[in-house]
Amino acid sequence: MTGYAASLTPAHEAFLNDLFPGDGCVLTREGMNAFATDASQERAMPWAVVRPESREQVAELLRWAHGERMPIYGRARGTGRVGNAVPSLGGVVVSMLRMAGEPVVDADDFVAVVRPGVVTADLQAACAAKGLFYPPDPASVRISTIGGNVATCAGGLRAVKYGVTRDWVLGLETVLPGGRVLRSGGRSHKDVVGLDLTRLMVGSNGRLGLITEIIVKLIPLPETSASVLVGFADLRAALDGARAVFRAGVLPAACEFMDRVTLEAVRLGGEAIPLAASAQAALLFKLDGTQEGVDAEVRHLVKALGPLDPVSVEVGRGEDEGAVWTVRRGISPAAFRIAPDKLAEDISVPRGRVAEAVERAHEIGRGRGLIVLCFGHLGDGNIHVNVMYDGSAAGEAAAAAGAKDEIFRLAVALGGTISGEHGTGLTKASFVAEQLGRDAMGLMDDVRRVFDPRGIMNPGKGW
Amino acid sequence: MGGDCILCGKCLEVCPLLAATGREELGPRAKADLCALLAGDDSLLRGEDAARLAGLCLGCGRCRKVCSQGVDVPGLVAALRGAHPDFRGWLWKTWLTHARELWAAGSTAARLIPGRWRPEKLGPLLKMLAGLKGGPGLDPFLTPTTFPDTHRGSKVLFFAGCTATHVQRRWLAAALELLDGLGVEVLPGDFGCCGGGLKAAGFAAEAGDMAARNFEVWRAAGRPGVVTLCASCLSGLAAAGEMLSGDEADAWAGALTPLSTLVRSVSFRLSDDAPERVGYHRPCHADAGDSDFLLLREALGERLVAATDKECCGFGGVMRLARPGLGDQVNGRCWERLGVAATVLTGCSACAAQLTATAPDGVRVGHWLEAVG
Repeated sequence: MTGYAASLTPAHEAFLNDLFPGDGCVLTREGMNAFATDASQERAMPWAVVRPESREQVAELLRWAHGERMPIYGRARGTGRVGNAVPSLGGVVVSMLRMAGEPVVDADDFVAVVRPGVVTADLQAACAAKGLFYPPDPASVRISTIGGNVATCAGGLRAVKYGVTRDWVLGLETVLPGGRVLRSGGRSHKDVVGLDLTRLMVGSNGRLGLITEIIVKLIPLPETSASVLVGFADLRAALDGARAVFRAGVLPAACEFMDRVTLEAVRLGGEAIPLAASAQAALLFKLDGTQEGVDAEVRHLVKALGPLDPVSVEVGRGEDEGAVWTVRRGISPAAFRIAPDKLAEDISVPRGRVAEAVERAHEIGRGRGLIVLCFGHLGDGNIHVNVMYDGSAAGEAAAAAGAKDEIFRLAVALGGTISGEHGTGLTKASFVAEQLGRDAMGLMDDVRRVFDPRGIMNPGKGW
Repeated sequence: MGGDCILCGKCLEVCPLLAATGREELGPRAKADLCALLAGDDSLLRGEDAARLAGLCLGCGRCRKVCSQGVDVPGLVAALRGAHPDFRGWLWKTWLTHARELWAAGSTAARLIPGRWRPEKLGPLLKMLAGLKGGPGLDPFLTPTTFPDTHRGSKVLFFAGCTATHVQRRWLAAALELLDGLGVEVLPGDFGCCGGGLKAAGFAAEAGDMAARNFEVWRAAGRPGVVTLCASCLSGLAAAGEMLSGDEADAWAGALTPLSTLVRSVSFRLSDDAPERVGYHRPCHADAGDSDFLLLREALGERLVAATDKECCGFGGVMRLARPGLGDQVNGRCWERLGVAATVLTGCSACAAQLTATAPDGVRVGHWLEAVG
């Protein structure tokens, strides 16, 4: 891609300082450094950072950027794992943290209207205060924003029952390059008129416009929940167990699995986990609803698992519920007990092919002398595959990178995707075409050009 | 301390400075990253400017508690401050190391500030320093009725801290009265400053000297329990324990006790004119269980109508001097949370001073010991 602004001229600086007075425009390197990187640890220094507080400022900025062909990178908390927020081609980072304020929660319409810089957990708390529930819960829910969640279509543990961010967005206000303001969808829970531009925006990773207001759908807050941690003698029994639970008519709010290597890593930490020492694989279920409903579902679930001979079953209710999640929460730090470095990927495959995917991922690791941990959201077929390696050991980093490529190809070959929720950004950009194919890629580029003919929005990233 | 930051962003949840300003470059992750780059001698960053930015930290320590990698951002900031001493750090050091001389006469500390720094920029600081003398304070409304025998006969050292020793003598008196009622014998011991403020301002060596003196007092008394009335002093003393080793480090950690944990077993009667709406400010350096809050919740019941959680008072130690405006934004959120409370209690000397200096009209602030009498 050529023709972008090559740098920030004094005129550009004057424009930005004028539009974003006071501390709303950052031009010093030390001030901008925070905006050069994100949780991916990829890095590129922007030319300027601006902090809009109003839609009008965003519109004026995108009118200017379109004219100047200035790359624009929307950003909230920078918690994404693939480098989507990194200004890889230079340009202006737009920090949305001041587009915040109290969400407006409407208990009659069952919607919340929220600005993009609001932390998702704060949105959930505002809803819960009125007995309402916004279900998507990415692992970053307490640190990431609803704007970032919508831009990346964040997933999470509860997706098996409640779906992902896309399933909860009813309407959006989006500022497009050139300064047009697009309002799509609204407060109605049903709407079949026209193409669904709202769903198109969700997960577009800042490539089509900057979102300035979001309307999300709400449901009644579940009365209670319970969690069940089940140990199995092997992975196959665990996956058969999950199948048995679904066939028994139980739809859990979360259905997580952990393989043998993952459990070994957690046990190395020495923290007590309520799981039999003989367990070679584990399932962790969360059930939510009314008290009576949850009690009944726990009974059905335990009964359905009986024929699989689980080696341990631990039910956590009330204050004890957190204890059964200790093992799941312990995975990320535990992984580093295996090796100092990891490549963490989040492939997703059809639910029926999870066992095959996990076994073949282990084989791919073995073939390269590396250990691979698999755990994740079994209910969605979304497997977190962690390739562990020691970057200081000769050849291991290259071996890990090779394993990652093989795992990506495996996911696609099994009818799945290279990313269930993290996205592609910078770190997986090179693989997108392999999954999507030429025709789909071409159409997506055509669609993008309708919104952003000059390609200024978050350039240099995969879809 | 900062080399292991993986940029995950978990610390973004808890930073009161980020929450109040919406400026990501002031968050803990940004500081850890700047420090790592400075350590790597990134020639694209101007060291002094980067250090100044990284130094804008309230030192509350919340990020350290949630970090899976053990990154200590306040520690990194203190190291930066130590490497770049300037006027502000000097003032802070002067203030704390000469507490006895300065504070014996109360607000005369303010006179030490050179004239060119006195104007409105430092207005809130001067008001706060003046506030240290005590202001009107609170009229007591909690009267002890019965003291249990749980601690009767035990012997402890009492660590009053600079504020109670030199400015707020009534805190000291109230604390000693409570200990007397509990039948706890207070052993003689001439502690110095906890060193917490000095350490955060970048004066590790001086803080170490303070700690060494305090350890000597404790050893000479036979290593008894050490009771404190200030959350920040307790935190500073606990952090100093890293200078000790083995059994003695464990003994020191075990000896440190917030006064409120002993007082919780005391029964109180509320006076007829006790305030109807009391707020509690949780200090950033509150102990893990926040024993001051537990004490007040039991003693005040439904009159405790508001309590801060994530909100910092905005004092921020040396940052108060460097960029008072940032501390004011943080302080504003704290008062929003305290809302309708007409009387606000806390358990930290610095928080009490900061909140006294910034209280809205009609709101009275004090250490919870002022409510006891």
